[in-house]
Amino acid sequence: MVAFFTSKFLPMRIVSVLLFLLPMPCVAEVLRSANEENGLEKWHFIAGDIEIELVQRLPDQTRALFMNHAFSKEVIEQLAQSCMFQTIIRNSGKSSTGQAVAIDLTQWRMRHGDKMDSILLKEPLLASWSDDDADPAAKLVVRWGMFPTQQEYLPGDYNWGLTAYGIPPGSTFDLVVSWQEGPTQHSGEISGILCAPDVDKLK
Amino acid sequence: MKSVVSFVVCCLLVTAAYAGQTLAPVPGKVVAPDFTLQDTSGKKHTLSDYRGRPVIINFWTTWCPPCREELPSMNRAWHMIKEEGIAMLAINMGEDEDTIFIFSADYPTDFPVLMDRTGEVIEQWPVKGLPTTYVIAPDGTIAYRAIGSREWDAQELLDSVRALKTSHTH
Repeated sequence: MVAFFTSKFLPMRIVSVLLFLLPMPCVAEVLRSANEENGLEKWHFIAGDIEIELVQRLPDQTRALFMNHAFSKEVIEQLAQSCMFQTIIRNSGKSSTGQAVAIDLTQWRMRHGDKMDSILLKEPLLASWSDDDADPAAKLVVRWGMFPTQQEYLPGDYNWGLTAYGIPPGSTFDLVVSWQEGPTQHSGEISGILCAPDVDKLK
Repeated sequence: MKSVVSFVVCCLLVTAAYAGQTLAPVPGKVVAPDFTLQDTSGKKHTLSDYRGRPVIINFWTTWCPPCREELPSMNRAWHMIKEEGIAMLAINMGEDEDTIFIFSADYPTDFPVLMDRTGEVIEQWPVKGLPTTYVIAPDGTIAYRAIGSREWDAQELLDSVRALKTSHTH
């Protein structure tokens, strides 16, 4: 034991400390299922207290949501083609630690082909639109309909919203999710997520 | 070593029980931002006029699935607490009377539904997503918050709200 702290083992000590400072890949379970009625697929990621559900949205569902508000046709099509998922994040409180879970979507990464990228966030989308693209009331739908970029969840809290990945309908990607539970940063991966195809491409 | 610790921690967490219907206490005695908003029947409501009794304030929209999910239980809760000196206000974000009226055919609400058409009020509150519900203590401070839907007619939730009546009596 004493030997561990001698200079001979110094490199090992440094590596050990660094390993504990890095985000811990938590043992996670990912369940993939399909809705029997509409065929839309769902990915359900569970690791400790954190649960993340991604439910496919058809581009037509996204069009229908935004056509009810004053968006230009171009913006509606931009959103419809951006691979949106109905997303649910939950702090299940399964543990008795009562720890808050903090999510920061700016830290999430998606792998599409050989590219690693950030996911599409609402702030740059909103900033890119003029009032002709989307009037202020319409922007509220995106402001409150898309998932909050940063949010803290106490046990029992959960939130629903849209997340977008900015790749064409029918594309596949892997999502590296991260979250902070108490003082510890965690990460995990959901592989092989499929953006819903456009309606005319459905079998 | 790291993966072993991670595995053990996660296994312990997964085997533990689910949390029940809970409200998160809001520390620091933060005074709820005041507002005046019109309800769907044209009546104006000012939050500070409700001082002296607990107020449940729910931010929602018709296009938000969990908002729709919890409205029936909120309406049931309203009928359980309305004679107990507890107020309940739903603040719809960004929609008009017609939209809410059509929606109310499927999701009737007997408590006041206020309209924050421009989103100015919700921006003054620490709301990140919908639905979010706050419970305001009789002294006007934010006592609890709930992110996501709840079963509002659950006794443990309503008892937390009822307890505010006595804990703030001097």
